[in-house]
Amino acid sequence: MTHLNRRGALGLMGAAAAAPMLATPALASTKLNVGALRFTSHAASFVAFERGYFSDEGLDVSFKFFQAAQPMAVAIASGDADYAVTAVSGGLISLAEKGAAKVIGGALSEEAGIDGQKILASDAAFKAGLTTPAALEGRSFAVTQAGSSFHYMGSKIAAKEGVSVSFKPLQKVGAIIGAMKSGQVDAWSIVPHIAKPLAGSGAVHIIGDVADYIPNYQVTTVFTSASNAANERGKTEAFLRAFSKGADDFNAALVDKTEGEDGAEAMVKLIHKYVYTDRPYDKAKPSIVNGAMRINKGAAMNAASIRDQLDWFKSEDLVKQSITFETLVDASYVETF
Amino acid sequence: MSEATASRNAPDTADTGKRVAFRGGGFAPTRKRWIGPLLFILLILLIEWGTRTGVISNLTLPRPSDVLATFVELWDSGLLWKHLGPSLGRLAVGATLGVGAGVAIGVLIGLFSYVRAGLTPLVAAIFPIPKIALLPLFVIWFGIDEGSKYALIALGTFTPTVVAAYGAVDNVDRSLIRMGQSFNLSWFSIVRKIVLPGAMPGILSGLRVSLAIGIILLVAAEMLGAEYGVGAYILEAGSLYDLERLFAGVTILSVLGVLVNASVGAIERRLLNWRV
Amino acid sequence: MDLHLDSIRHAYGSVAVLEDISLTIPSGRIVCVIGPSGCGKSTLLRLIGGLERPASGAILQGGDPPAGCLNPLTFIFQDFALLPWRSVAGNVSLALEDHGLPNAETERIIGDVLARTKLSDFRDALPKQLSGGMKQRVAIARALAVNPAVLLMDEPLSALDSQTRALLMEDLVGLWTRRPFTAVYVTHNLQEAVLLGHEIVVLSRRPGRVREIVKLETPLQDRRVGDPDLEREQQRLWSLMREEAQAADQELIDV
Repeated sequence: MTHLNRRGALGLMGAAAAAPMLATPALASTKLNVGALRFTSHAASFVAFERGYFSDEGLDVSFKFFQAAQPMAVAIASGDADYAVTAVSGGLISLAEKGAAKVIGGALSEEAGIDGQKILASDAAFKAGLTTPAALEGRSFAVTQAGSSFHYMGSKIAAKEGVSVSFKPLQKVGAIIGAMKSGQVDAWSIVPHIAKPLAGSGAVHIIGDVADYIPNYQVTTVFTSASNAANERGKTEAFLRAFSKGADDFNAALVDKTEGEDGAEAMVKLIHKYVYTDRPYDKAKPSIVNGAMRINKGAAMNAASIRDQLDWFKSEDLVKQSITFETLVDASYVETF
Repeated sequence: MSEATASRNAPDTADTGKRVAFRGGGFAPTRKRWIGPLLFILLILLIEWGTRTGVISNLTLPRPSDVLATFVELWDSGLLWKHLGPSLGRLAVGATLGVGAGVAIGVLIGLFSYVRAGLTPLVAAIFPIPKIALLPLFVIWFGIDEGSKYALIALGTFTPTVVAAYGAVDNVDRSLIRMGQSFNLSWFSIVRKIVLPGAMPGILSGLRVSLAIGIILLVAAEMLGAEYGVGAYILEAGSLYDLERLFAGVTILSVLGVLVNASVGAIERRLLNWRV
Repeated sequence: MDLHLDSIRHAYGSVAVLEDISLTIPSGRIVCVIGPSGCGKSTLLRLIGGLERPASGAILQGGDPPAGCLNPLTFIFQDFALLPWRSVAGNVSLALEDHGLPNAETERIIGDVLARTKLSDFRDALPKQLSGGMKQRVAIARALAVNPAVLLMDEPLSALDSQTRALLMEDLVGLWTRRPFTAVYVTHNLQEAVLLGHEIVVLSRRPGRVREIVKLETPLQDRRVGDPDLEREQQRLWSLMREEAQAADQELIDV
């Protein structure tokens, strides 16, 4: 059984038949495409690839790089990518509702004690008194698109502070940074490796932590097509195993820092092959180190956080009310908490 | 007598030789009013059938009846006007600025050689720039609110209007201008009474193109910082992968395009009734 | 008002069009200019009317234009040059609008010239509704409205079919008989020339020179098509022009 096509896999998919097959990494050279963004938060896949964890599982992985999470979700639905890591967005939920995508694991999490996403204020707004999220009343808050994770964060922050903000869709992170620097928008929230250099330049100010408003926020999730989740159990579990190994290495080296300087250095060098490739290593290093947030062990999933996100999308009428947690998530692969 | 020859010739061709074969058919388009709508309705029905039976998956196309339901929902909730209002405002202000400046500059190019020499290369250089690419710049120049949106639509409608306007002025019958001079009309009278009315057909057909471009740019203009607007609605639907809303929004733009085209047609019929 | 042309010379670039033209256009007479095609007849007319500047020589006005003359030198064009977006009355009014006349006066003039050209019933018609002959009558009415000292007519009938041409010829003769006007009438049609001209100027082929000036004494209203005297005159003009026309026809056009 060196070659396994989809029909063959389907035939063998009885629970009894599947078990022995999974025991051996006999999925020799199963080709699959992994969608990724060139962000530090996608490092687990890069590590699993570079350190051979994918090939150990018999997976012949090639990366497909995207500019934004949204097209990546569509690529999963169209079958152009098999697995990807991204934030829960309205688009992803809609694709799940259409039976095209399924969340199967958790990746990036906000965790107390680890530097997480920051709330930013533009210099102009900061000088006009926006020094704490409580002062957001009547301010504009930048988002890429309606229904993006930025929208979710902004909305949660505003709700907790009891203020109302207006959301400005600017499509791209680059456009948001430009608008923040020139004071066209007042506030934003973003991962630390983007937030810190911006704040360092004095163009924006950090006024709070997202973790204070959304504790244990499951920022990104692992997802795949619904048919992979339902019918390609072996392949999917193999992917998640390799991915988790990559995540463990990453956490150890850069989040828990148990590997020492050398381990961290090796990890940063590995990631630099994929992230900030246009910058010299010395300049890229701080950004990569700053961007290190915990990737859940064993790709465990914070179901409560995902439920909360889903409920928020429904309450904003961004997705259909009929969508349930089970439509979005296949919780059978990983631990949930 | 002619009747007699006709009746004698018709049945009895063998007697007088072969009938001349008709070969003048085709190549003359005639108006078939009902074909267009019929084809459109058939297509819609086909898609409806396909999506209901599952031949067309719900990832590929939305069900037309669902799009209609989404539209009705938009209408009932009043959101339609909440989106359409700002968009129409942006289109009206932006296109008025762009078309107004375009006609003025175009006519000046048509009238003055120095202006022509100076501005035609500039206009040719601006024309092919995708105006969307300049949007971030416009945000810095004109602010993220309505200013940048007006500017984008204005610039987008400006260049085609300039080209149409100076082409139209160039095409004004020179013999009419010479006639004006022969009656000692003042320069201003010649421009107002001969050049401008003579250029009107060209300017109006340019207007059709400019306004269609304006509608296209509406979506681009609402990419940055628009909470409401048909373009923002379409972009949001796209990012949520909500095909029903996406198609409902696109339909609104199509209808807008048809209406704009029809009103230019009405203006043409009114202003250009002198045309043969 | 007379016009005197004093050794006019004109060229387009290096191509000489007119050479040493000296002429007098006497007041109250119609001067026809004939010549082979390309001899510079129309150019001569534009020079007289001030729409072009001669390369050398001068065109002089003798005496003042009559009182009430709004546009001393007024053209009638071959292609009518009517504004298609204006009605018949509007086209006539165009010639009057820049003169600051009171409305009532403008209306009176329009009514008068439309009556003289038998167009009163078509006041509000657009040019697209009119036949070629009617359009040229509108152009004539427009020219008459400014009470010109000299009418400059550039083949005014050649865009029309022969029947319409005959009718308009009668109209022109009628207009002149009722109130004589001065005119320069450029044509390539010899019959028109002998029916309308008090003087007929024959130009040579390019560069145009005055070959001969023929004076006809028969009063305009007495000239008839088929009149033997006129036929003879027409034949003589044709023999004058024949060779020139033949030679002109065989020239390469490189203007």
